[in-house]
Order: sequence, then C-alpha cells, then structure tokens
Amino acid sequence: MTDQTYRESINFVVGEEKRLEEILSPAEIITLLDSAVRAGAGRVAVAGDKAEIIWSSGEISDRDEAEIRRPLRIEGEPLNSLVVFGDPGERERLEAISTLLQDSLQLMIDSNLKRLMTTELHTTVVNQSYGELLESHEKLAASEARYRNLAEDLEKIVEKRTAELKQAHAMLLQQEKMAAVGQLAAGMAHEINNPMGFIISNLNTLKKYTGRFQEMLADYRVAAAREGAGFTSRAAQLEEKWKKLNLDLILADLEELFHQTLGGCDRIKKIVADLKGFSHIDEGEAAVVDLNEEIDRTLAVLAHQTPPDSEIRRNYAELPGFRCNPALICQAFYCIIINAFQARPEGLRLEIDTLAQEKGIILRFTDNGPGIPANIISRIFDPFFTTREVGAGTGMGLATAYEIIHGVGGTIEAASEQGQGAVFTITLPRARN
Amino acid sequence: MVVKLVYYGPALSGKTTNLLKLHDLLSREDRGDLMVLDTKDDRTIYFDLLPFFLVAPSGLKIKLKVFTVPGQVRHDATRKAVLQRADGVAFIADSQKAEAANNAESFENLEKNLAIVGLDIEKVPLVVQFNKRDLPEILPEEEIRRIWGPSGIPVQLASALEGWGVVETFRELVSRVYLALDHRYGLLANHRLDQHSFVDKLTTEVKR
Repeated sequence: MTDQTYRESINFVVGEEKRLEEILSPAEIITLLDSAVRAGAGRVAVAGDKAEIIWSSGEISDRDEAEIRRPLRIEGEPLNSLVVFGDPGERERLEAISTLLQDSLQLMIDSNLKRLMTTELHTTVVNQSYGELLESHEKLAASEARYRNLAEDLEKIVEKRTAELKQAHAMLLQQEKMAAVGQLAAGMAHEINNPMGFIISNLNTLKKYTGRFQEMLADYRVAAAREGAGFTSRAAQLEEKWKKLNLDLILADLEELFHQTLGGCDRIKKIVADLKGFSHIDEGEAAVVDLNEEIDRTLAVLAHQTPPDSEIRRNYAELPGFRCNPALICQAFYCIIINAFQARPEGLRLEIDTLAQEKGIILRFTDNGPGIPANIISRIFDPFFTTREVGAGTGMGLATAYEIIHGVGGTIEAASEQGQGAVFTITLPRARN
Repeated sequence: MVVKLVYYGPALSGKTTNLLKLHDLLSREDRGDLMVLDTKDDRTIYFDLLPFFLVAPSGLKIKLKVFTVPGQVRHDATRKAVLQRADGVAFIADSQKAEAANNAESFENLEKNLAIVGLDIEKVPLVVQFNKRDLPEILPEEEIRRIWGPSGIPVQLASALEGWGVVETFRELVSRVYLALDHRYGLLANHRLDQHSFVDKLTTEVKR
C-alpha cells in the first residue's frame, strides 16, 4: 500500500478534539436536566465556553435569583459549565442538586468520550485493515490471473511444440524414405547398367552379323537358281523350303526386331538414369541445377504412375541456375505432381509453366482436377491434413513440398475454384548462386 | 493548539506505567485525568491518554495529549492510527538483555509506520528511554551509550516502576517538541512563550 492511498483511506484521526454537543446526545441530557427541575431547581442549563446555552430545562421565575455554576470538563479541560437557577431560600438543596448533576454529567461525558474514541479508533483500524485486505485481494487476483494465463499459454506452447515435433518427425521419416528409395535406385541402376551395357553392345554386333548372314544367304539363293538347272527338283525343293519357313517375311522383320529391342534397351537406360538423377544419390548437399531438367526427371520417374489418357504440357522458359539440394527440390515437385495425378484418375491435363521473372523464378502447375473446396484450401499445407481415406494418404505430401520450398527461401500458393481445377504456384528467389 | 505525543515501544516495556507515573508525579493543575481505554490482562489494546493544558502569554491555548500504543505485533493497525499526526515520540525500550531483539523489531516498526503516516523520522522530535533499570540482566549503560550515541537521539535511563527517569524523559521530549513547534508556529516570536517556561509549566512536579 502506498503512503498516498493509505492516507486517503484514513478518515479519522484518533484524539481529534470533540465538542460537548458531539459527546452528549440531547435525549440523554434533557432527561437528566428535567429530573433536576423536578427535584426543585428553577431552571437548569448547560452552557458552552462562550456562556451560550446549549441545552436547558425549566422556566426561570422572579424568585429564582440564586445561580450556581459548575464546570464540566472534556479531557480535563473545563470548557463547558452547568448552570442551576433557583430560589435563594433553597440554596442548600440547589447545591446538592448541582453536585449530583455535575457528577453524573461528568461521568456521562467521560464514558461517552471513551466510547467515541474507542469506536473511532476501531473504525479506523477496521477501515484500514479492510483497505489492506482489498488491496491484497486485488494483488492475489492479479497474480492468480497471471498464473492462469501462464498455464493456458503453457498449454498452447506445448501443443504448438508437440505439433512442430510431430511435423519434423514426419518430415524426417519422409526424407529417410526418399533417401532409402534413392539408395536402392542407385544400387539398382548400377546393377542394371552393367548387363545393359553388354546387352546393347552384343545386340549391335548380332545385328551386324545377321546382316552378313543375310547377304551370304542371298548370294546362295541366286547361285542355286542359276546353276542348279540340272537339278531342278533340288532347286525347287530349296525354294519350297524357303517359302515354307517364311524366310522372306522373317528377313524383312529382322530389321524391325533389332530396332525395337535396341529402342527398349535405350528406354531402360533412360529410366535408370532418371531414377538415379531423381534420387541425386551421387550429388552432394547443394548444387546449381536447371529446374526444368529437375521437373522432367520427376515426371520420368512418375511415368508408370501417370494416369491413362493424360496430357502433360511443358511450357518451359529458359531459367537461370538455381542453387538448392536437388534431391529435395525433386521431392517437392514429386509431391505436387502426384497430387495432380491423384486428383484426376483419367483424362488429366497437366500444364507446367516455368517463367523467369524479375521477382523470381515462377513454376506453375495447373491441373483440370476437381479443385480444392474453399473451406479447406487454407489447410492443405498443414501436416497430416488429407481429404483421402484414413490410411490412403499420409497428409504429408503437400506439407513436405511447403517445407522444402520455404527451406530454399521460396513460397508456394494454391488457388482453386471448385470444379475448375487447381493451380499451384511456386516462387523461388533469383539470386541464390 | 493541540499537540500530540506518542509513547511507542515493544509490548510490556512500560509505556502505560510511564503515563501512570507522570500522572502521579506531575502537578494536578492544568492537567486532565489519565484515560485508560479498554485494557485487557494488563495489556493496552487501544491506547491510554493523558492530557495537559497550557496558556501562552499571548492567550494561545495549548493542549498536550500523551498517548500510548499497544506494543503487540498484531495491533499494528492501531499503532498506525494512533501515530497519525504525532508531534513527538518517546520510544520506551526494555533494558533486559533478552528483550534486545524485541526492541529492535519495534523500532523498525516505528520507522516503517512513521513513513507510512507521512512523518519523517529525521524531523519528528524523538527520545529513547531504556526502562526497567531496576531489573537484573540488563544491558549496561556504556553499551547503550555506545550503540545510541552516534544516532544523536537522546537516551534516558529509567525505572518507571520506581518512578525515576520518567519525568526526565518527558522533559527531554517536550523541550524537543517545543523547538519543532517554535520553528513551525513561532511560539516565542508570536506568542511570547519561551522553551524554559513551556517545559517548566508542563513538568512541574508535585511537592512531596
């Protein structure tokens, strides 16, 4: 409690001077004065320190010439006086009345004064204690509120931290998974590349060899037809066999067989290379990449998951090199593209635009899926938020993309109108070299 | 003019006894009776009051009221109320060695409460009385002088029970109070009342 408020709460000062009118009440004093008159006094009065009459009883008559004055003391100070008028012939009786009245009035004054002072002090103390109690109550209420807020905040902070932990954990899992897939892909790529090397080499050699066989065979046929006139039946037999074995068609088909097989081998090689490139298992943490290439790589890896009758249009602009962890950026593209694939199981039209603008590199993925309802669009980047059945989706895909894009200093936004498809726009800063 | 003096100190240090002795020793002229308010088990729970009256040559009436406070710790609110607008304080300490801690605690309480009621302990006329000198196991005088000397606060030794040192303490207090009042109201210049007659008038002892 400050001095100021304390002083304001004190309305009484113990021992303040009191006037007789404040100490005695007319009701109690008049009764006494009246009984003095009944006892034989003519007129009885109590006077103030300037001889003014405060209370009186009885009427003064002509014969009441005797006047007796007695002091009345307040805290020992003779401020007031008792005045008794009466018949001079009755002086003795008047003296007795005066003494009796003075003593009883003095007793009354003393005890009333004592009671007043006690009450006053008591009131002061009670008021003050009440004031102090109110104050300490306020302080307690304030500190209680503070602790309550703290507890509430604590709960919120714990919730937030728990969510962050859960998210970080999920991200880690996802990254671990991708890393494992990458490692596996790299291992497989190595194992496949080796046999693929000699398969392609041998096929090319075989193709050359069969060419020679074909040439030789053609010569034999011409020679047999020309020189075998004497052996007509034998030549006819051979020709018969040629036709029976359908060798004309087979020889014509050989070229196509080799072409197709070698084409298949090339495709295997490319798939393996893409898988390896996507996982970026050979590369270090960060590198300067061409984002167009990274999108292509991602699409290649996703080739087998591309819905039937899909049309994917790539409108690429020439982009400046972008410094990032290539494996992570591919993972972000992977999440966004697979989201589009899942949005439209058939008849998908996915348009990918890349732009190099003043404010940064813009990568836009526009699909013709069902779109995202307005009431959930703000939550699609939240971890574990999924519209798919429980167990079907982890709800981590777009959250992972969001984390990765923000991690490289970019932003990702989704825009959609119900039934009109969705547009995901990634903006990446230009100068990260 | 009403002058308020307060006898402060720890419980049972003899504040009421001081007033009772003053009442007995000083002249009954111009003095009221001792008013004892609701005392319980010999312990003051409100306060005791002894009034004195004095008229300056100028006609100025001066009323001096001496109060005691209850010493018990739990009556702090009462002490604060009584201490309001005090013009002087006598601190009654118990000389017994065992009471040293109580004295110190009570004096700290006085300092705190004076500040709370807006009085400056450096400016309020203050005297200290080491009471109960008649008892054994008391703090020796040299020790008291050594401790209190540097404070500049006058110290009186007394035995209120035996009646000595009581008037001396009161005399010391009122002479200091006079200086403060004179400084504020010009008692000598305006009312032709000097310190000597002020103190003498208030401390006239009953002739025995």
